[in-house]
Amino acid sequence: MTLFEEMQQAIIDGKAPVVKELTEKALREGIKPADIFPNAIIPAMDEVGRRMRDCVYFIPEVLIAARAARAATDILRPLLVGDAEARSVGTVVCCTVKGDLHDIGKNIVSMMLESAGFRIIDLGADVSPEKIVEAVRENNANLVAMSALLTTTMVNMKAVIEALAAAGLRDQVKVMVGGAPVTESWARSIGADGYGKDAPAAVDLARNLAAA
Amino acid sequence: MTHRIVLQPTQVELTAPAGTPLQDLLFEQGVEFPCGGRGRCRGCRVRVHEGAAEINDAQRERLSQEELSSGWRLACQCSVAGDLVVELRQWDAAILADDTPFVFEPRPGLGVAVDVGTTTLVAQLLDLTTGRVMAVRTALNAQARYGADVMSRVEYALDASQRAVLTDLIRRQISSLIDQMVFSSKAARNEIRNVVLVGNTVMHHLFCGLDVESLSHYPFESPHTGLQQFRAGDLGWDLNSNAAIRFLPCLGGFVGSDVLAGVLATRLGESEEIGGLVDLGTNGEIVVGNSAGLLCASTAAGPAFEGARISMGMRAATGAISQVTVQDGRPVCHVLGNAAPQGLCGSGLVDAVAAGLDLEIIEPSGRFSNGRREWTLAPPVALTQSDIRELQLAKGAIAAGFRILLHRIGAGFGDLKQLYLAGAFGNYISRSSARRIGLIDLPIDQVTPAGNTALLGAKLALFSGEGEEGSYTQLRRKIEHVALKSDAKFQEVFVEGLAFPEASPVQG
Repeated sequence: MTLFEEMQQAIIDGKAPVVKELTEKALREGIKPADIFPNAIIPAMDEVGRRMRDCVYFIPEVLIAARAARAATDILRPLLVGDAEARSVGTVVCCTVKGDLHDIGKNIVSMMLESAGFRIIDLGADVSPEKIVEAVRENNANLVAMSALLTTTMVNMKAVIEALAAAGLRDQVKVMVGGAPVTESWARSIGADGYGKDAPAAVDLARNLAAA
Repeated sequence: MTHRIVLQPTQVELTAPAGTPLQDLLFEQGVEFPCGGRGRCRGCRVRVHEGAAEINDAQRERLSQEELSSGWRLACQCSVAGDLVVELRQWDAAILADDTPFVFEPRPGLGVAVDVGTTTLVAQLLDLTTGRVMAVRTALNAQARYGADVMSRVEYALDASQRAVLTDLIRRQISSLIDQMVFSSKAARNEIRNVVLVGNTVMHHLFCGLDVESLSHYPFESPHTGLQQFRAGDLGWDLNSNAAIRFLPCLGGFVGSDVLAGVLATRLGESEEIGGLVDLGTNGEIVVGNSAGLLCASTAAGPAFEGARISMGMRAATGAISQVTVQDGRPVCHVLGNAAPQGLCGSGLVDAVAAGLDLEIIEPSGRFSNGRREWTLAPPVALTQSDIRELQLAKGAIAAGFRILLHRIGAGFGDLKQLYLAGAFGNYISRSSARRIGLIDLPIDQVTPAGNTALLGAKLALFSGEGEEGSYTQLRRKIEHVALKSDAKFQEVFVEGLAFPEASPVQG
């Protein structure tokens, strides 16, 4: 097994200490930090996403795997500052919308996006449109990913899109939405750029939107 | 033009003018519309045996070509266009009407106790001098056609004129239940002095005509949770116009007076030992504590316990696998109504997963072992991987609620001396299976199915006069509501509680 394969397996198995050790070993062997993402972390989290979609992995396994991936990204992130190639994937502002406190799904999406190489500005739960606008402006974000778990709170997604437009930021960011009551047609009706039905779909969507 | 509609298997015959929505007709016969009649689920499907019913896009999306061609339709999408013979797929919910004896101080006159459930209503007419139950009526909540669960009801009621519709519906329906009880028992209508209603916060608000906007978003706290009193005259009910109608106070969040009544009925607030009460529904409600004080919370368990969102899930009705046991290393299924197995109800689901764990077909993580994709219990009924995941979410939410409340009073599961299971599901679930899947971590002899504690508590409240001096007023002050979602530890505890316990706990 190559070092990259070992790292992938350790992430899939959720072994954070092993991932940390292997990441340090890779750096000692002279592997470039920017090469570790596409060769180890991203394929591992893609596999985690596949297992999640097939119901083989469930919330605990996904969270543990994401935590293991973070053991690597925590080491690599500071080494990547200023590395244009690594930063170009995109910056995502993540949150659940105003009135909604259900954040487990949002946390999984934000961790998976992070291991896919995105820079994440996680605003947490119950976030007002003003805060989202502010975060987009301050961080020069190119994606907003928001979630709602209640039919009564998903209407607030529309308010966010309107606030982004009012602040003159709508052309700068792509907006993606998700959560149990949200559907593709609802996403279209409020003028969002995309809908992710689950975490793996959200990662694919973010990649497509960032590349567009 | 009027048409004749025959419902099978009950052979009920109805007549209705052309164009009448089937939903309106069937709803009056007790058929439920889980998604509120929006064509989003398959809950109301019927099979047309004679006559014709239209097919639209919503039905093409939810029903297979094969189903459509053999006459299956979604009742909520069809209307009457000619004579019809239709078979109802759905069975009425099993409703608990409490007949537990209770201790009371006699009072003059008659009284009515009503448990206003999101799904079902139960009313009893009592002789307050003897405590005797003179009549009982149960019905499906007429509001259910505007949404099956509390959140969809709130969503509908955000519009003031729609809210007024719901308020009017429930007031009329309860008045009619009282009329029916007076009629059947030949009771003296004017002797009814007291009506006590209990229900969750949304039912409380909708009956009392209160704004539900604050219940539509975090922090889900309404400013109008207190006792609400009316005179029969105010509501236009055909009773002595001075008769007092009281909707008991809510406890906070979505936790309403049905839980307050449950605490009253189980006397949790009177014992020094720590006890608990849990109602396993879509909104699981939990109370823990003792005479020194009690905490309550509601936790979004999802509909798995009611057999919803389970691939072959159904209500506890004929054809449902309601029990699964293990004999000689194989699952043995009990099917309700001595019929061929058609699906899995909540108690069967809990049993099936417990059996799967014992047979090591299911791993403690919830995953099927050896790459299995599904497990056939009794053909054609099978358990799938995503069914197990749904149950894990439900039990994780309840278990996390318990852990957080117990932690707040400085206790653990081991300190819980008595646990009451309220509601219909509490009567049917196997306590040992509930323990096997980690839903409750308590020896089964300390777990008591307590029936309809909400109705029993409402009856007790009938004997504690009008106004603020009722026994429930003092009790309410003792109970504090905890917003679980605001607890920093909730997510962590919830995720920890998703897995199943490793091995069978020692039976105690």
